Amino acid sequence: MSKKWIVVAGLLIVAMLMGACAKAAPTPTPKPAPTQAPTTAPAKEESAFPKEMHVWVTWGDNPAQLQELFNKFGNAHNTKVIVNAPVDEDKVIAALSGSQPPDVLVLSGPDNVPTWVNEGLLLPLDDLIAKNNVDLNDIYEAMLAQGKYRGKIYALPWGSDTYALYWNKDLFEEAGLDPEHPPETLEELVSYAEKLTKVDDNGDIVQMGFVPDYAWSHIEQYAPMFGGYWISRDGTKVLLDSQPVIDALKWEQQFYTKYGPDKVLKFVSSLGDYASPQNGFMDGKIAMVVDGEWFMGPNFIRGLKPDLWYGVAPFPYPKDHPERKHTNTVGGTVVVIPAGVANPEASGKLLAWMMSPEVVAEEMCANYNLPSSKKAAQDPCFKQDEYFALFMELANDPNATTQVFTPASTEINTELSNIEEKVLHAGEDPVPLLKEAQQKLQPILDKANAGQ
Amino acid sequence: MSHFRYRVFPWARWSPRTRRRFVTGILFISPWALGFLLFTLYPMVSSLYTSFTIYHIKAPSEWVGLANYRQILHDKRFWIALYNTTYMVVIGVPSTLIGAFLCAILLNLKLKGQSVYRVIYFIPSIVPVVAASILWVWIYNTNNGILNTALRYIGIQGPSWLTDPHWAKPALIIMGWWGMGNTIVIYLSGLQDIPVTLLEAAELDGASWFQRLWHVVVPMVSPITLFNLILGVIDMFQYFTQAYIFATSQASYAVSSGRPLGAPLDSTLFYSIYLYYKAFINLKFGYASALAWILFVIILICTLVLMRVTEKWTFYGEEF
Amino acid sequence: MALGTLNRNHHRLVPGRRVFTALLGHVVIWLIGAFFFIPILWMVFTAFKSPDDVFRTPPTLLPHSVKMVTINGQSYPLYEVTLPDGRVLRLARVHVHAGMATFVDPEHPEVVIKAKARYGKPVLEVHFHWENFVDAMYRSVRPGLHVNFWVYLKNSLIIAILSIIGTLVSSTPAAYGFAKIQWPGRDFVFIIVLSTMMLPFQVTMIPLFLIFTEVLHWGDTFLPLVVPTFFGSAFDIFLFRQFFKGIPDAITDAARIDGASEFQIFYRIVLPLSKPVLATITIFTFLWAWNDFLGPLLYLNNPEHFTLALGLQDFQGQRNVAWNLLMAASVVFTLPVIILFFFAQRAFIEGIKLSGVKG
Repeated sequence: MSKKWIVVAGLLIVAMLMGACAKAAPTPTPKPAPTQAPTTAPAKEESAFPKEMHVWVTWGDNPAQLQELFNKFGNAHNTKVIVNAPVDEDKVIAALSGSQPPDVLVLSGPDNVPTWVNEGLLLPLDDLIAKNNVDLNDIYEAMLAQGKYRGKIYALPWGSDTYALYWNKDLFEEAGLDPEHPPETLEELVSYAEKLTKVDDNGDIVQMGFVPDYAWSHIEQYAPMFGGYWISRDGTKVLLDSQPVIDALKWEQQFYTKYGPDKVLKFVSSLGDYASPQNGFMDGKIAMVVDGEWFMGPNFIRGLKPDLWYGVAPFPYPKDHPERKHTNTVGGTVVVIPAGVANPEASGKLLAWMMSPEVVAEEMCANYNLPSSKKAAQDPCFKQDEYFALFMELANDPNATTQVFTPASTEINTELSNIEEKVLHAGEDPVPLLKEAQQKLQPILDKANAGQ
Repeated sequence: MSHFRYRVFPWARWSPRTRRRFVTGILFISPWALGFLLFTLYPMVSSLYTSFTIYHIKAPSEWVGLANYRQILHDKRFWIALYNTTYMVVIGVPSTLIGAFLCAILLNLKLKGQSVYRVIYFIPSIVPVVAASILWVWIYNTNNGILNTALRYIGIQGPSWLTDPHWAKPALIIMGWWGMGNTIVIYLSGLQDIPVTLLEAAELDGASWFQRLWHVVVPMVSPITLFNLILGVIDMFQYFTQAYIFATSQASYAVSSGRPLGAPLDSTLFYSIYLYYKAFINLKFGYASALAWILFVIILICTLVLMRVTEKWTFYGEEF
Repeated sequence: MALGTLNRNHHRLVPGRRVFTALLGHVVIWLIGAFFFIPILWMVFTAFKSPDDVFRTPPTLLPHSVKMVTINGQSYPLYEVTLPDGRVLRLARVHVHAGMATFVDPEHPEVVIKAKARYGKPVLEVHFHWENFVDAMYRSVRPGLHVNFWVYLKNSLIIAILSIIGTLVSSTPAAYGFAKIQWPGRDFVFIIVLSTMMLPFQVTMIPLFLIFTEVLHWGDTFLPLVVPTFFGSAFDIFLFRQFFKGIPDAITDAARIDGASEFQIFYRIVLPLSKPVLATITIFTFLWAWNDFLGPLLYLNNPEHFTLALGLQDFQGQRNVAWNLLMAASVVFTLPVIILFFFAQRAFIEGIKLSGVKG
């Protein structure tokens, strides 16, 4: 009897000991307050590269091409760069919480940067940029601006996007409009859209002139065109119930309410996949869409529907505000370095290499995004499409802007997208929804800015 | 002191046989118990602690007591998520069970080709979730999808499944039925276990096909029904993967990424999705942990109630 | 007397009634089976399609591509052109720019017609793209790394087989302990077993991740995926317990009286009687490990360690998914499992016949 008792007791003690040991490690060790982001590691001269470096990319396009690109760096510096693509948010957060994050992380947008900086997850890049002679002047201003937070650079662009109006010239011709003359003002857009929308005898829509949120919303384009944004530039005030946001939503809403949201939804949900020739625009079912520069490229129109007769023009401006001509919101892929990387110097060198014009040119040609490097933009591969230059001009225009990201941006933007959905798809009045959201989110933003 | 110990762990009051059986029992479950202590108990306790804090990843967490829980009760999205998830449990689980049971009966009939039929009913449950979810997005396409096309042939105008807030959840439930193959297999093993003599005796006694079904088969598979019911409820309360794929992958317009949370119009905001969003997008781990523990308690209560209620109806196959 | 009458009637009615029931059975199975089968059919055919065909409207089951014709050694697509004067002709499209197309009569190449491109609709023919399967399997290749489809397959198999062993070795004794031994506190502990399934994985994920990577340093290996299976799984314990409870206590009690130890009863009596459920759990564990991608996604960083399930993510881009290739990869991914299931179900039906206790 006593023997078995001892065995059982022994097992329980061992289990408790192991539980205790495990408990010790993940307890967060006291560190400086969250608002103070960690500085780069105290000068540890790491001249040799680590044996292996890890680059994580949150999207999964063409992992083989990415690996080949990074092999160039690996071969030149006697290290093995392993590319892991795609990775999900939960994996990224788990890794950033631990002590072995990837050496470099490529994100599809800078939305999360302030939230992560608040939690001390990212390294400020200013020192590494200076040390490795990354030429900031070679980077377009709007693209560089998206990675700045609280006066420091936390992210560098690596494949920026901006948006313009695509129009189907065949459909214009059929509707009696001049195919070479896209709408220049928002008012013209509305009247063209009316001419370009066809409804059949059953009352079902068979062709739409313009769908403001086709594929995904572009409220970040519309709001600036109406003169504002839903967060103040300094990132302290929520401006959801400001007039530009209300105007933008009401302007979007008319395209749905004119024909009935149910009918429009029925029409749009019958279209094929965005990345197929049955895309609403490519298939000639939607006459005008707002979309990005990649849409012209080898993965989309040029590859799937090369015979499409279309044009691209800057998104129209309000008739009464010609000073807002060419307003566009620049965004896109960014590169960050997690705090707590084993070898910040090596990560910095990799980052600098990624920003060099040759690498930028190669990656942007492959992925068909806007090169952030002015030198890279000279590469002949960008001359293939007649409209690529238009996107570059827009990104460089004085009216080019970026979104404002705050540590509460995920909450704010989610709320806004839900409101937009209710406004467009259910025909609700935006004003009370925006006011309610405003009241709910300002305190959240205040707390987030204070470091909570 | 010793009085208390006796009540909690009355080793001294047990007979030697009881003590022996206790130790043997513990030994048999020791691999599980060890794993529980190492890999489950610590994370569970850690998440419980986190739920009382505002959690910071690289800084000390701030203790806030019940603040997270209070905030949750005032959170509109919490109630929406709870409703949506409960809907899936109440409608999705029983319908899947009944369907799987009936299919198992069909597949147990002595017909030629059953091994092929069984494979066909089973394949959908092993198709990778990513491919299946996207496949069904296309099936649910309003004008061109198979489903609405088939309905058109019999004169019904199908709804815009995935963009209509009233039909999005039923659409997901139907998609869930498609994958009931593994439940069918479990029922099949149970059906195969029913002694043939029992059924023959009932037939000789004049029982009709339906009476045999209701009075012999259903009770004999009741342990499996209980198992599937409880597991179904536990799983469905945590419904995540298909909804997550819909929300984040690139498919037709109806489900493109950048889709508002819970689209259409909050109807697919499920509890686990909301939890994931709060944890990994908002980085509010304290709040997410509180959400998790509330769900845990809900599931625990439902399971205990179910077990108590169905224990009377479950027949463990001895006396007949 | 009554029994005799019954028998005679039974014999007379049986042949016709049997055929009718059999036919009805087949019909019902087919009708319901259509629900399960048609999407699979769609998936398989999509695997053979080109990217423009996957979402073609109106949808077609069979893969179609534009018919090509050869003129003077060059290949051009064939279109059905509706000209403004009402003629409908089948013409090859040799050039298109800014909405204007140059069409040529394939029979008479000197006849050149210029018309709006939108007047022409492509002429389709059935075309199976077998190369999709090769492209799908090739997608896993990364220059400079030792990774390809077979590596993924090997990794998946290793994890699956180890998981099966771990599960059978750890879950069966635990289930026996909960089902067949009467010990105090048993049902309370069983509720704890069930409760481990009730906490959403998202919150225990990070503490568990940190245990595996920071404390045990098992990051980027199979260990976090396989080792937990050697410590029992609630689902399997629950299912085994249900089946073990179905074995009459009379048998186990008799063995106890005969002096057998619990372990002997477990190993010599209960396990052999449980062949159907052992086979079922083997299949399920294999499937679960084979299909699991959340676990590998979280713990594996180097593509050389990836599993097939994780490899399916290779087809998901930022804004587009290679549907046809994803379906092809899914078919390849699912096929071995189908074959396994087909033969395994025969094995466990045989197993039931051989066990001889029931009926």
